[in-house]
Amino acid sequence: VTLDLFKLVLQLTVILAACRVAGTLFRRIGQPRVVGEMFAGILLGPSLLGWLAPRFSAYLFPPASLGFLNALAQIGVVVFMFLVGLGINPTELKNHGHAAVLTSHVSITMPFVLATLLALLLYPKLSDDSVAFTSFALFMGAAMSVTAFPVLARILTERDMLQSRLGTVAIASAAVDDVTGWCILAYIVLFARAAHDGRSIWITIGGIVLFALLMVFGVQRLLGGMEASYRKWGGLSENRLAFMMLLVFSAALCTEWLGLHLLFGAFLMGAIMPKEQKFVQYILDRFETVTVTLLLPLFFAFAGLRTNIGLVKGPEMWMYCGLIILVATVGKLGGSMLAAWLTSMPLREAAGLGTLMNTRGLMELVILTIGFDIKVISPALYSMMVLMALVTTFMTTPLLAWLCPDHVWRLELGKMSAAKTGLPGPVTESSGGSAA
Amino acid sequence: MASHINRNFVVAYVLLVGLPIVGLLAVLKTGRKLNAPISVDGVWRLEADAAKLSTLPCGKALAESKDAALAISQSGTNFTLTLANGPRSDGAGTLAGTSLNASLAPSSEWSAQGNCGAERKMTLVATVDPNATPRSLTGLLSASDCPACTAVEFRAVRQAPARRASQ
Repeated sequence: VTLDLFKLVLQLTVILAACRVAGTLFRRIGQPRVVGEMFAGILLGPSLLGWLAPRFSAYLFPPASLGFLNALAQIGVVVFMFLVGLGINPTELKNHGHAAVLTSHVSITMPFVLATLLALLLYPKLSDDSVAFTSFALFMGAAMSVTAFPVLARILTERDMLQSRLGTVAIASAAVDDVTGWCILAYIVLFARAAHDGRSIWITIGGIVLFALLMVFGVQRLLGGMEASYRKWGGLSENRLAFMMLLVFSAALCTEWLGLHLLFGAFLMGAIMPKEQKFVQYILDRFETVTVTLLLPLFFAFAGLRTNIGLVKGPEMWMYCGLIILVATVGKLGGSMLAAWLTSMPLREAAGLGTLMNTRGLMELVILTIGFDIKVISPALYSMMVLMALVTTFMTTPLLAWLCPDHVWRLELGKMSAAKTGLPGPVTESSGGSAA
Repeated sequence: MASHINRNFVVAYVLLVGLPIVGLLAVLKTGRKLNAPISVDGVWRLEADAAKLSTLPCGKALAESKDAALAISQSGTNFTLTLANGPRSDGAGTLAGTSLNASLAPSSEWSAQGNCGAERKMTLVATVDPNATPRSLTGLLSASDCPACTAVEFRAVRQAPARRASQ
């Protein structure tokens, strides 16, 4: 397949324009930009453009050209996952005691178990015999228990809730959710790919353990040197930044080669980076803008091109779609809320926490893309799950504003001690600094 | 007081985390007994008598295309299909056990050729052989609204399960 540069640049232009316009419109109704961009991606796919103007859609996105678009989108997601890992501080959970421990664990187990129960119904209807039930059910569990850490952090920042008890518990729980979710996903991908490629699972597991040890005990020391250099000079040279990116892509290549996925290496690389707040913010400032304004919209468009709402046809399919949204919301929102309430958080605040944990955003799309690629989920189920991601992310801001009006927060913040949590600046999941 | 809080925490943890994990194991065990529809997802190389195929309305373009194949994208018992390496078309079908029933709507360019007709559809009725490696389909290809036309037998062999983008 030869590269049609004109077509590729045309695609980039249309996608960026659509994402900017939709993002801006959604910002005007109080939504995070990411929701608008996800929506724009769906509009550019077979669900709207392909349905209204099939000839134009076939001209703009011919199947032969999608490989190049996907390659650019995947590079964007690799860098994004590095930034997500960078924003996660594993020590945060220690500071918040029982509430965070219970909330984070329940916010994983509740949606996970409910999703696997739902899988009993969906597997015979929406899957096929090339997928084992265990892989299908575990994937559904992982996909429903994810929280969009970056969107959550952005919403908390915008509402000035980051320092509140709810904010700190939500951030810590979401960080634990993300790490756990990715570990579960790694397990599923490992087994699904090993079954497909006929590769020995033990060689793969051994390789991954070796890789993780090398990252934690070897590469992390190198990175410590980078932080020291930043402290000494107040910045990093272009060579050092390029070396950092080299490490990110090398880690991504390692996990892909080991039979996992590119994104795991990038995420791990971000997670083991030094967590000093100014250093993290410095790295974010260097890599975030191009990623969220240029590369991630391509990922939204590519995800949208795969989403065909036309496949959700008839009352039965819409009932499954509704059930998916219901189970995801009850499991995540209800589970987190119940756990927080049981650890003495007032009911309204606990409901606010559940609402925040229920936001899935781009993280969900990333996980769904992996599931679709390894063929654990079918095209119709993928489309339903994308709708679920959109609905749960969309409902977060208005529900939170209703449950936790501003004046309640000001009152609560006034009572809080002035102690700072020292959280790093969050990645803005395609909302970018300009969108905040 | 502290021990009271700790006890509550342990009770809550067992109820909300421990028990669901036990439930999860039970669900996974139960689910292993479930049967999902047979997999037909992928690209299937079509083999049919070209002479007989060209007698069907819309069949000529299909008979003339080299390496014609059916590309099936499956979602449970429903699937969509297109012709790969052949005239542009869109279709959909359903699966019941090993029986497959689908219709293929030719594109406007294809419809404009010969005796195809604008509203004509191709119909596929076939049976999957689940034991064959690679999996194969045998069945009949016919044209809608043409009672006088004789259905054409075809066989299709799955080349490889469809690999999706980025793999």
